[in-house]
Formats: sequence, structure tokens, C-alpha cells
Amino acid sequence: MVTAVEGSFWRTVAVFRAASLAYALVVFLRAGGYADPAVGWLVLGVMALWTVATVFAYSIEEFRGRPLLAADMLVTVGCLLATPAVQGGYQEDSLPITATWMGGAVLAWGVYGGRRAGAVAAAIVSLADLWTRGAGGMEFEKLPINGTVLLFLAGVLVGHVARLARKAEARMQEAIELEAAGRERERLARGIHDSVLQVLALVQRRGQEVGGEAAELGRLAGEQEAALRELVSLRPGTPAEGSADLRVLLQRYGSGSVTVSVPGTPLTLPAAVAAELAAAVGAALDNVARHCGERAPAWVFAESDDGIVTVTVRDEGPGIPEGRLEQAAATGRLGMAQSIRGRVEDLGGTVTVVSAPGRGTEIEMSVPQPC
Amino acid sequence: MVVDDHPMWRDGVARDLAEAGYEVVAAVGEGAQALRVAAAVRPEIVVLDLQLPDLSGVEVARGLAAADPPPRVLVLSASGEQDDVLEAVKAGAAGYLLKSASKEDFLEAVRRTAEGDAVFTPGLAGLVLGEYRRLAAQPAPAQGPSLTERETEVLRLVAKGLSYKQIAERLVLSHRTVQNHVQNTLNKLQLHNRVELVRYAIEQGLDES
Repeated sequence: MVTAVEGSFWRTVAVFRAASLAYALVVFLRAGGYADPAVGWLVLGVMALWTVATVFAYSIEEFRGRPLLAADMLVTVGCLLATPAVQGGYQEDSLPITATWMGGAVLAWGVYGGRRAGAVAAAIVSLADLWTRGAGGMEFEKLPINGTVLLFLAGVLVGHVARLARKAEARMQEAIELEAAGRERERLARGIHDSVLQVLALVQRRGQEVGGEAAELGRLAGEQEAALRELVSLRPGTPAEGSADLRVLLQRYGSGSVTVSVPGTPLTLPAAVAAELAAAVGAALDNVARHCGERAPAWVFAESDDGIVTVTVRDEGPGIPEGRLEQAAATGRLGMAQSIRGRVEDLGGTVTVVSAPGRGTEIEMSVPQPC
Repeated sequence: MVVDDHPMWRDGVARDLAEAGYEVVAAVGEGAQALRVAAAVRPEIVVLDLQLPDLSGVEVARGLAAADPPPRVLVLSASGEQDDVLEAVKAGAAGYLLKSASKEDFLEAVRRTAEGDAVFTPGLAGLVLGEYRRLAAQPAPAQGPSLTERETEVLRLVAKGLSYKQIAERLVLSHRTVQNHVQNTLNKLQLHNRVELVRYAIEQGLDES
């Protein structure tokens, strides 16, 4: 993948090369052309041509690659090795004929291949540089290593930064794509909300009015409406990792016969506790359906007060006769209410069952909410 | 007046109202349009969908409440829009009904809205109770409204789906008293909301303009 940031790195290298070429020319002129100006002009000519060639070649993505980098290194080292021929023997503190221009190849390697390639390129150019000094008759101990250190720093640093920038840009691209996907989902959700959900709600309502088979169709439409709404819900902000909003879990139980009432603020519980509590509510609703009929109305009410989350499931069925629960427990049978009690008490909560014949049943489940 | 952006819904609701003997003075599909038309036709009751293409239903409810005299607003909303419903009710809406409610329930809600009663569904009771508790839990000095024990008790029973009649029986109160308790909880919340808005305006220096 070609990144915008990579292009600007190559442009920077091109600027460096051109500026270094001008610098090399100035150094050459100030030194009065060194010992052999003719060879000097020849080398500078090669450098100028190569600068133009690389500025062009590196600007095109297809040309960037190992062959070009290898050629770059060969030309650079070649020019560098011509230094003794131009300067004629050892000149104290002088730059090689290429001056800082030799750094161009190191930067190019770094940008292309990262830290390691930058370091390798710095090593090659430095060796060539040091060899020219050696050829100039300098003693090993007096070899100037400033240039070497700078080359290594430049190669490694540029390589590192180029790689970082490339990674950052890839991440950014990913984020942009994710955001676009999110927006698309939102758009879809709005569309569904404005059309499909409205029609489903309408079918449900009209179905109830017409009655008979149409009422059954209406009920199905209503269930689908609730399910689809849950699916495309635009609720912003998901709770933190490991916790869940009990409201979201409870609202899934909402249907034509089951009314779910919740507060406007999240009921945050540890995910496992929320799931278990929601399952207990589900069990209670199953119980209502079994004892009071499939379509019997039921209400689920969730609230939070003083750090305690309470969910109440109420029905208007026949109720549980007095002593019935105790009787079931005594004979070793665990009634549904008992199994709900077990679940909730495992969560450190309490269950209260209020029921009287003819007045329906209320199962109240409370669990503490961690701060 | 009916405000709903979905033509089928709008027409259906308007037809139901007309058949029940109400005069539908306007049926519009956009929020800004709703506010303009309401200013012109001065409806007594506005049946308001919260999902509108331009303004949010909450903004429309707020705009309608600013009229003199304000129309009574019955919010008709799809499920899963709790936050908006709560805001609309705090802004002055008199009640809230799910779109999936039956025609009878809907007409009954309109009738009660027309009489000036709050239309308290279990869902709305849950929201209002949650809002009071949110206000109570705020660290700031307790200046917000609070519920009496009786009001909390009544709201919880409404949230659990009991009818006013059932609540009256259970608490040994008159039907009218239950209704008053419910109405009070809503009034206090709306008043608090207005006070908050004014305080906010003063803090922001808007009162000087």
C-alpha cells in the first residue's frame, strides 16, 4: 500500500540530495578544485546526473525497490572512492568529494527498509569513507569517526521514523474504515427505523384491531419489530469491559404481552451477574407463561436504589396458594421460584415472592451493585 | 394535531382520532413545520412522534410547551427511545404511549390527555422513578425534587403494571388520590426542569440579552 506519508519521505530525501549537491560544489570551489579539478568536475557531474535520476526514480512507486537502491549505493560509493583521485592524498579535516551527498543513499535505504537497512547502508558508506582516508595515508588511530557516527544516526533514525509513520498511517486508515462502517450502520439503522420498524408496528396495531388470524400476524410483527430494533439500536456508549447494562438484556423480553420498564440511566452490573439475573427473569417469565398461559400479560420492572438493583416480575395469574412453596420445598421438589431463589442468592442477592390467590404473583429479585 | 414523519402512521392515527370524534386540525411530518403550524392552528392536543427528520421530538416538545396556552402533548414513540421520552416528558409532555399500543389504549390515552391527566404507562413510571433516583444520587447539594414515600410506592406499582384502580385497592386510597400522586411526580420533575433551564440561562448570562 502506498501511503501519503511515504511520498513525503521520498520528497524529503530528494531535497536533501539536491541541497547536499550544492554544498559539495561549494566545498569543492572553496578548496580551489583540490589537486585534480578535472577529475573533480567529472565526479561532481556524475553526482549531479545521479541526483536528477534518483529524484525522478524515487518519486515513482514502481521504481522504488532493491535494484534502484543497489544502484544508488554503487554510484554513491563509486563517487566516494574517487575522493583520493581528486584530492590527491590526505587532506586534514577535509570532507570527501561527495561531502554530505553520500548520506542520500543511507536515507533512501532507511526510508525503504527501516532501521536495519539504514544501519547497513550507513556501514557500507562509512567503510568506503574510511577506506578513502586510509588510502590517503591517515593512521588508523586518527581516522575521523564523526561522519560514521552521523551516518549511522541518520540511517537508523530515518528508518525508524519512516516505519513508525507508515504504521501510524495504516492504523489511521483502519480507523477511518471502521468509522465509515459505523456511519453506514447508523444510516442503515435510521433507514430501518424510519420505514421497516414503523410498518411492523403498524401491522401489529392494525392486526390487533382486526382480530383473529390477523391478530396473530400482528403479534409476530410486533415481536420482529422488537428484535429488529434491538439489532439496529443506536444506543451509544457500550459499558466497560466485563460489565453489562442490565436494561439491554431485559428489554429483549419485551413483547406484546410482556412490558419492560427500566430507568433512563444504565443499570451497570458485572457481565456475569447481569446475565444470571436476566436468566432468572427469563425463568420467571417462563413460569408465568406455563401457569398463566402463553399470552398472559406480565411486567418486568428494573430499578436501582442505594446500590441495589431490583428486578420485579409480576403477573396477574391465579397466584400461588399459601404454603404451596413451603410444601414443595418440604417434599424435596424445587419449585421454579426456588430455583430462581438459588440463582439470585448465589449472586449475593435476595428474592421475595409475594402472591395471593387471585391477585397474581410478584417475584422481586435484588442484587447488590458494585461501586 | 398529529406529528409523525411516517405517512402511513400519520394518516392512521389521524383517521382513528377522527373516527373517535376528535377534530384533527393538522397532520404534519416535520418538527419545524409542526411548531409553525401549531402556532397557527393552536391545537389542544398534539400527538407527537419522537423520531422526526429535522428537529428532535424533544425540541418540538420544548417548543410546544413554550406556546401560550401550551397544547397538551402525548408522546407516541417506538420502544427503545427511553432517553428521548424522559427528556420530552421533562420538557412538558403529558404522557407517553408505545406505538405498539392498541387503538383502544391509544384513544383512552388521548382522552385522558384531553382531560389534563398524565398518561403514565409502566415504562414512563420506570423512567420517572429512575430520574428521581439519579437526581437524588447526585453529589451536589440536594436541591432537586424528591418523592415522598407514598409517591415512590405508587410509582413503583405503576411501573409494575398495576392499574390505578388496583393501586387504589392495594394502598386503600381513592382512585383520584392515586392519580394526584402520579400527576405530582410529573409536575415536580417538569418544574425542576424549568428551574434548571432558568438557572443555566442565568449562569450563561443569557438573561441579560
